[in-house]
Amino acid sequence: MKVLDIALKDMLRSFRSGFALVMMFVAPLLITGIIYAAFGGMGGDGGFDLPLTRVQVVNLDQPGPQYSFAFGQMLVGFLQDEGLANLLQVTEATDETDARVAVDNQDAGVAIIIPPDFTTAALAPDGRASITLYQDPTLTLGPGIVKGVVSQFVDGFAGTKIASGVVADQLGQRGVAIDASLMQGIAMQYGAWAEGLGQGWDEGAHPLLEIQLPPTKAEPVSQETSIFGAIMAGMVIFFAFFTGASTAETIILEDEAGTLARLFTTPTPRAVILGGKFAASFMTLIVQVVVLMLASAIIFRIHWGEPLAVSLVALGLVVAAAGLGVFIMSFLKSTRQAGPVMGTVLTLSGMVGGLFTTGIPNLPATYGTINLLTPHGWVLRGWKLVLAGGGVSDVLLPALITLGMGIVFFVIGAFIFRKRFA
Amino acid sequence: MNNSKAIQIQDLHKNFGDVYAVRGVSFDVRAGEIFSLLGPNGAGKSTIISMLACLLAPTQGDALVMGHSILRQPMAVKAAIGVIPQEIALYEDLSARENLNFWGKMYGLRGAALRQRVDEVLGVIGLTERQKGRVGKFSGGMKRRLNIGIALLHKPQVIIMDEPTVGIDPQTRRNILDNVKELNQQGMTVLYTTHYMEEAQELSDHIAIMDQGKVIAHGTHDELVKIVGELDRIDLTINAESERVLERWQATEGIHQVSAENGALTLLVDDSNVVLPRLFESATETGVRITSVEIQEPNLEAVFLHLTGRALRD
Repeated sequence: MKVLDIALKDMLRSFRSGFALVMMFVAPLLITGIIYAAFGGMGGDGGFDLPLTRVQVVNLDQPGPQYSFAFGQMLVGFLQDEGLANLLQVTEATDETDARVAVDNQDAGVAIIIPPDFTTAALAPDGRASITLYQDPTLTLGPGIVKGVVSQFVDGFAGTKIASGVVADQLGQRGVAIDASLMQGIAMQYGAWAEGLGQGWDEGAHPLLEIQLPPTKAEPVSQETSIFGAIMAGMVIFFAFFTGASTAETIILEDEAGTLARLFTTPTPRAVILGGKFAASFMTLIVQVVVLMLASAIIFRIHWGEPLAVSLVALGLVVAAAGLGVFIMSFLKSTRQAGPVMGTVLTLSGMVGGLFTTGIPNLPATYGTINLLTPHGWVLRGWKLVLAGGGVSDVLLPALITLGMGIVFFVIGAFIFRKRFA
Repeated sequence: MNNSKAIQIQDLHKNFGDVYAVRGVSFDVRAGEIFSLLGPNGAGKSTIISMLACLLAPTQGDALVMGHSILRQPMAVKAAIGVIPQEIALYEDLSARENLNFWGKMYGLRGAALRQRVDEVLGVIGLTERQKGRVGKFSGGMKRRLNIGIALLHKPQVIIMDEPTVGIDPQTRRNILDNVKELNQQGMTVLYTTHYMEEAQELSDHIAIMDQGKVIAHGTHDELVKIVGELDRIDLTINAESERVLERWQATEGIHQVSAENGALTLLVDDSNVVLPRLFESATETGVRITSVEIQEPNLEAVFLHLTGRALRD
């Protein structure tokens, strides 16, 4: 009972501290929120709400009378397709200079200038024409999207041109005369095939490509969960370890304030007093982790995963954070030492554990191995697995390792503290 | 006060490596009395208090508090005592009531009994009106009162106060001394440590004078003063280095003891009326000017000087 009294007293003190509240709840949510806001939040359909890129298209393409269609106009139509409406805001301009001025004045992010001989060059075997992209140098993402879209379109015409060339060569070898209408027909047929392929690709199917995922019972995860889940998990882990150390620091704090010695003058065994301090650490961490998970689920729409697996990983985090906190603090003599040591050790171990690179894809495998030198890395691995839809069997190993690490740290730290206050 | 013993200290020793803080201390404290441990800083008073509060284990010896051994029955000892530490030991981010509630629980109080006792203690220490206020915003005096109140929660039989008046203003000091007397009148035995002679003199039924880890004298105030017999004490200041007169005065007839610190000298003499002219005479001869003189009746300060050759303030 006294263990609980001491733990509740410590929790009350923690939750009354503005600094502790900021470190426990505000900072992790705020940092993730800043990253979230930087990406413009997430749309209701699960996609990014990227800011619209304003595009001015100057279509100077003037195909000859022998052509029944114009590639320039097709590109304009492609850019104005409904599928791109959430990315691009396309307006047509008549004058190239005006379009460039619009970009210079940041009225547009990108100007696309389609040259006058675009259609002709596309169909002529040795014809060449370049589409000019004039972009705002302060932007990166929007012009990149425009470049990708235009490249996709231009690649299609490159295919048309190759197809036309091959057909012309083969027919020429057989003595068949080739005229412009034949070439147009070939181009149209290729265009239709490419369009169909593109639609199939958009729908996730490709005749020459089969995408397979590892067998799992997991439901597919949303973009919020896969991106912000990992970032938030990194923040939860980082700040949970801070809380573990901060609550353990109260032992030193109470020692300096004289309240620990006073506690020892009461008819309360020392093991109960230290047990109460440690229990406070566990209970505070449980509250912190649960609140952060619930808050981030509501704010960032993160689906944390299967409850049992999540609980296992969260338990590993709580034990590891509390254990490491007690371990670190057991070596320190004063709160003056505690601040810098805690900051340095936890920040470095967090970095080594990979907590600050959760949003970066394709990191070297060696780095992933280095992450696992710290409890942070193992907790993060467990959390990534549950976020990816893993179940209890998937997270069992990292959870057990974090629990084991936490218990070892805790036992060593508690032994040192007991020895100090014996 | 009765003749039963609240505290029995038996050949208590404590050393920290090569440092001997307490060296074979023995004394008894009778139930219902105020007993003072008087001595300069480093005399070993706080170490004895720490051992009685079961914070430190003695290197040798034992002590019984209300019949319970500090070695074998520390929990029973802790339940019998209320310790008022020298420094204020409170949770400043909790209210006065929350502090009392928490400490009450640590003494085993629960439920209605706890609530009732907290109310009573708040009344005793005069903080009923401020019970919901954060302790961090209290004045120093209010904190001192709460610091004392915590030790009273479980109605201890013995109150142990470790230099509670160090570094505080005269008004708060007066309040604390009055509180000690009130607690004693309520039947509590008080073990009080101090290095202020006048506090021990005012409060105590019995006094043990400590120096360098030992009890050098023990008894009532009157018994202790008799140690120095009919000697007078003269406190004086001079306008020069004390070395210029020290040797000469130590050899002067009628002077038993001389101690000097920062230009202030304390002398134990047979008869101040006879000795004073000799002091002025030898001061004049050595070119030293006596700038102030105070003659005092024999007191605990004189006893300490007589026994150690040093003033209590040293």
